[in-house]
Amino acid sequence: MASERVLTRNVGRAAARTVRGYREGGGYEALSRALRMQPAEVVEEIKKSGLRGRGGAGFPCGMKWSFVPRNIDKPKYIVCNADESEPGTFKDRLLMEHDPHQLLEGCVIAGWAVGASTTYIYIRGEYTVATAILEEAIRDAYDQGVLGASVLGSGFRHDIHVHRGAGAYICGEETGLLESLEGKRGQPRVKPPFPAVVGAFGCPTVINNVETLCCVTHIVQRGAEWFKAIGTDERNTGPKLYAVSGHVERPGTYEHPIGITFRELLDSCGGMYKGRALKAWIPGGASAAMLTAADVDTQLDFDTLAKAGSMLGSAAVIVMDETTCVVRATLRLAEFFAHESCGQCTPCREGTNWMRILLERIASGHGAERDLDLLASVVPNVGGISLCALGDAAQGPVKSLLAKFGDEIRDNLRQRRYPLPQVPFFDLGAVA
Amino acid sequence: MSSPATPVALPAEVVARIDELRPRYPTEEALLLPALHLAQAANGGWLSAESMAAVAELLHLPVARVAGVVSFYDMFHPQPVGRHRIRLCTNLSCQLRGANELAVLLRHELGVEKGVVTPDGRASWVSFECLGSCDTAPMAMIDDAYHENLTPDQLRRILAELD
Amino acid sequence: MPRVTIDDRTLEVAAGTNLVDAAAAAGVQIPHYCYHPRLSVVGQCRMCMVEVEGMPKLQAACSTPVVKDGMVVRTQSPAAVEAQRAIMEFLLINHPLDCPICDQAGECGLQDYSFKHGQAFSRFRFEEKRVYPEKERIPLGPTVMLNMNRCIQCTRCVRFTEEVSKTGEIGFFNRGSHAEIGTVEGRPLDNPLSTCVVDICPVGALTSTRFRFAERVWYLDKKPSLCTGCDAGCNITLEHRRGSIKRYKPRYNAEVNDYWMCDFGRGTHERYRDEPRLLSPLVRKNDELAPASWREAIDALFQAVRAKRADGVTAFLGSGFLTTEEAFLLAQLARLVESPHLSVWTDSGPARQIPNPRGGVSGREAAPNRRGAEWAGLVPGADGLDGENLLLEGGADRCAALFVADSDFGKAARDPRVVERLRKARFLAVMGWADTPLARAADVVLPAATHAEREGTFVNSQSRLQRFTRAFPAPSQARPGVEILAELLGRFEPRWGSVDAATAFDLLAEEVDRFAELRWHSLPPQGVSLAAREAPEGAA
Repeated sequence: MASERVLTRNVGRAAARTVRGYREGGGYEALSRALRMQPAEVVEEIKKSGLRGRGGAGFPCGMKWSFVPRNIDKPKYIVCNADESEPGTFKDRLLMEHDPHQLLEGCVIAGWAVGASTTYIYIRGEYTVATAILEEAIRDAYDQGVLGASVLGSGFRHDIHVHRGAGAYICGEETGLLESLEGKRGQPRVKPPFPAVVGAFGCPTVINNVETLCCVTHIVQRGAEWFKAIGTDERNTGPKLYAVSGHVERPGTYEHPIGITFRELLDSCGGMYKGRALKAWIPGGASAAMLTAADVDTQLDFDTLAKAGSMLGSAAVIVMDETTCVVRATLRLAEFFAHESCGQCTPCREGTNWMRILLERIASGHGAERDLDLLASVVPNVGGISLCALGDAAQGPVKSLLAKFGDEIRDNLRQRRYPLPQVPFFDLGAVA
Repeated sequence: MSSPATPVALPAEVVARIDELRPRYPTEEALLLPALHLAQAANGGWLSAESMAAVAELLHLPVARVAGVVSFYDMFHPQPVGRHRIRLCTNLSCQLRGANELAVLLRHELGVEKGVVTPDGRASWVSFECLGSCDTAPMAMIDDAYHENLTPDQLRRILAELD
Repeated sequence: MPRVTIDDRTLEVAAGTNLVDAAAAAGVQIPHYCYHPRLSVVGQCRMCMVEVEGMPKLQAACSTPVVKDGMVVRTQSPAAVEAQRAIMEFLLINHPLDCPICDQAGECGLQDYSFKHGQAFSRFRFEEKRVYPEKERIPLGPTVMLNMNRCIQCTRCVRFTEEVSKTGEIGFFNRGSHAEIGTVEGRPLDNPLSTCVVDICPVGALTSTRFRFAERVWYLDKKPSLCTGCDAGCNITLEHRRGSIKRYKPRYNAEVNDYWMCDFGRGTHERYRDEPRLLSPLVRKNDELAPASWREAIDALFQAVRAKRADGVTAFLGSGFLTTEEAFLLAQLARLVESPHLSVWTDSGPARQIPNPRGGVSGREAAPNRRGAEWAGLVPGADGLDGENLLLEGGADRCAALFVADSDFGKAARDPRVVERLRKARFLAVMGWADTPLARAADVVLPAATHAEREGTFVNSQSRLQRFTRAFPAPSQARPGVEILAELLGRFEPRWGSVDAATAFDLLAEEVDRFAELRWHSLPPQGVSLAAREAPEGAA
């Protein structure tokens, strides 16, 4: 199904990486327009558009901006969350590498809207290519008067700095990111206060995902109504990037109106890898509950997936076919969360490790049904009382494993079928 | 207990680069991650106790705090690494497309376990979490570059070309 | 002030008070580990989860402030109780079963909360507990030992060295279940307040090398007292077993030492154990000191002191370890024999500093009560011999009689040159607890009680008067200084014979303006500041 490429319109157009080339495609018109509006009007427009955060939490963007206190004698900051470490997610990388100015424009607009003169783009340290491209685009933007003391001659000052992370998933959590930006261990903070009031360096801060800020650019350019007309309903609006990986023929980033069904998305990726049968699929990154073949007609938007017991999250779609041992797959995600837990709070620090241990027992053949019962009773306490959402996230895959595959696992345990034979992807020949 | 690491002067160009970054941040502490990246790159890809002490002194931070920060992040290495650092992604999407086999291959070709430097100092490898390249799985980050859509043969070729 | 209801008890608290403190004010103990009133709030242990009406999720009490009226909190709702059980379970799955060999047993946060909020069985039965290899007993510094396996990662110690001692030796390393506290090689935990991290560690991860394996805490008798290491006047708890002092711990006083005390102070009780003690009165006969009865000894001293002699003066010398009451009685003695030669001697010590939110308190002298002793009257009259004359210049050769009370001069009491100088007095009497060369050189020796064995008051470096009580009785024939001096004074005027510390203080209060209107029995527990009071004319 053909849909207009909005966010990915400049992918493949190398010229768009320069200010001049970007402008030739209509770039920086939105910024001009925003600068002629009142900041509060810009916030209103974003609110009306129904734009929800594309980083994973899905929080209404305009509402977040409106939390920034207006009259306060402190500098304000925009922080672009380019930490993109959710397993299965690579859409922000695409945006930054191919259309850096789309992001920069969104940052400046956001700055104008809330009264911030500085943006920090917190980019994961491993994205060396995207970092270089962004820094070059920023240099160009300063040269061309798009950034600096007077953005497009408006008198509004805005600076953008790229700040590299150093390899920690928890730095994608808003306050973990702020701690890391400030030069500390990326350990999330107690909330309240929320970043909009006390954020970077104690000042009001708006933190937005890369894709969210790119949407901002288009909303200001074409209007909230246009944005709202795309998608499922007024709470699930706009174009969306879906990052598809795993057992599909053509893994990649696909732009569709938000709310496309999984079946349609799968089709657009060329279907299952080698035509194999679908066993399980994750709609939104490692924290999202797994779904099965029975759920293929689910619309991939925030609310529909939430109602289905999962989440859209970062729209990282991971597809697993019949050769996959779901216990081992869940174990891998449990290992991920245990490795990435910052270690501050008791339930996450100890709970993620315990879940990993129990899944390991089961997957390796040393487990019994009582381990499954124990796992079921441990999972609820890992989230809910943890300091940040990583504890909640870690529950997702395990809960869905038990809900969707519990019977199958019990059967396998009774029949002592674990460990299930692993189907190697590559044949290494003599090297075993 | 041995004597404290005497702060060895950081290379002048590292100090200069850190100084250039100072106006970007309202606090000195915020320079820590950029400073550690620079110090590590100038020290063969790892942060010795001396490097950490030097950065701590430069930024007026307690050494224990700097060491605590270094130990938090996967990209900072407080132990020596090979001339070439291989980070093989073994998260779910890459595992679904053969990362496990590539790990076996790495162990076999380099002859060392994860985190160990080859005797000739040429290389070391670790398994890493999702590197944001799941559509080109399986893949690895070698030094500063991504090597995507890896097959066993490709990986063998890449390893052979590392000096 | 907003009103909050906690477990059906309603009370008013200052706006901004967190729920842990508010609950404590209401008499409800919310379990917690990482929270400490003097450290930044991190909300990480998750032990203090409570139910707040109107909020869907449980809230961490330590990081939830009372801001306006109407907050209703339940600390024992089913959800809160389950959360407490779950946190206890999580903390215990990797915790070693070290209780039988762990110092913390009996005063352990895990033991206590496990008993109240946890479960009696483990569900972590087949797995290996996480260990930190080779970190079972590593010295973090000279005074603190770390067993990393026992740590519950509450980070109180990390925040202490960052925020209170401001020395930053302890860091937090690694992530997730490998997270650990520790120091960097070559930079051990070594600051004046190091051992405080042992006090605030809820478990036995951090233990004091001084106290390690010394005693099971349930055998310890705990008495409030004051530290005598310097004149900062830190409040302590003196913990002993049948008269053998095992440990000093700081005791909270917002006006003085807050929650802390210094490492040096903690060790000041060891000398009572390590040094030989005087246990019986001694009187010199035929040039040898022989045991005597108290009556004999006091009689001999009485005769020597009251005699008006042409060949010399009668002098009195006290130390900074005298209580205000002892000093007052000694000053009375000097007055009774009309001697202007009375003084106090104290070494000045290294400056010791205890931080508190009001700016901190410091001690500059090596003894607790020079100030109180002087204000109680131990000040030389015109041309009177003072400590410097006597100890350092040889003024004792002008003395027909010299009464040293007490002799806790520290180094000076063992310095042969000082002993020689003081011995030049024709008659030398020494009251003290330690069997020192000075005591052995005397004609009359009066065995006194140590600090733990008497009651009294001290005045600290900030002019705060504080009272302390006796922890246990003096052994053998040793007696508190007040008793000894009262009996001696009683030989002059019978009314003094039955004076105890309380009476002595009340008499002092009547006589000396600085102490006016104070009464021993109504002295407040945090002490009284005498700073604003006028010095009487002519006094120090």
